Amino acid sequence: MTDLALDATGLERYARHVIMDEVGPEGQKRLLDGHVVVVGAGGLGSPVVQYLAAAGVGRIGIIDDDRVERSNLQRQVIHGEGDLGRPKVESAAERVADLNPDIRVDAHETRLTAETAPDLLAGADVVVDASDNFATRYLCNDFCALEGIPLSHGAIYRFEGQATTFENDGEGPCYRCLFPDAPEPGTVPNCATTGVLGVLPGTVGTIQATEAVKYLLGVGDLLDGRLLTYDAMGLSFETVEIARNPACPVCGEDPEIESIRDVSYEGRCTVPAD
Amino acid sequence: MTTVTVSVAGEDDREVELEEIAGGAPPETPTYADLLSAVELSPHEATVLVEGRPVPEDRPVEAERVTVLRLIKGG
Repeated sequence: MTDLALDATGLERYARHVIMDEVGPEGQKRLLDGHVVVVGAGGLGSPVVQYLAAAGVGRIGIIDDDRVERSNLQRQVIHGEGDLGRPKVESAAERVADLNPDIRVDAHETRLTAETAPDLLAGADVVVDASDNFATRYLCNDFCALEGIPLSHGAIYRFEGQATTFENDGEGPCYRCLFPDAPEPGTVPNCATTGVLGVLPGTVGTIQATEAVKYLLGVGDLLDGRLLTYDAMGLSFETVEIARNPACPVCGEDPEIESIRDVSYEGRCTVPAD
Repeated sequence: MTTVTVSVAGEDDREVELEEIAGGAPPETPTYADLLSAVELSPHEATVLVEGRPVPEDRPVEAERVTVLRLIKGG
């Protein structure tokens, strides 16, 4: 226990982790030394940030440029009525401080762009994509694939959720292996126009947090090479095998994308023609 | 009749007869985009995977079983 360098309060806080063989004092130390960046402090980001903080992930980056609106509160459970109008990252950071004062929070009230991504994502042990738009999703994927940073992907729609983990270790697939380009703008509906079951991001975001914690601990089987789909209406899960695509524009055999600077992260998120 | 099993992730499998979606104009082989149309999806909103990898939507259907993943973005 002395190696863990936890005081009595810390030992009490993490007691249910430390007693497990799969975690133990060494595992808890890995969590406390861990650095996870969460992109988005909305529906998915709410459970992700809270569970990472409660687990004792020592450094959590949170990136979001939105402010809290009343229509968010049906599912974005890290924010409350008293946070209306506040930056989401500020509200989320305050919740983390209340949950676990051991945690360092880097709150970035900004949008992730090709210009800001290197500063905001570099050095993370894991990035969690909890965003709500294709530009950010493709940017997260490309940066993490190129830099070899594990990426937890989650997405939701009405009663349906998806989650997978791209380890980006040179063996498994990335997001562009499945979806090489973003769809034409406006062709895929969003939650604002079609609605979303409020509890849905809780389920999917909790799976993402589970993957991040497992990765930091080095235990279990990640969703690398598997995409989990969740149907809340039928309360059923399904796993789809996914494979690396040799023609992938970012991690394939002859990649078109060698830097996020190559890509225009708007529209279809492709490399502009010369 | 050539039957293709279309497994839309999160839904029940669907059996699609290629001859039925070819529009009665043989010998033209239906494409993967035609297969998506048969399950009421478009290439904008879904991708067709064969053995875990996407296939171009304009390519003639050769696989006997495909998986369809819907593209969703909400967070």
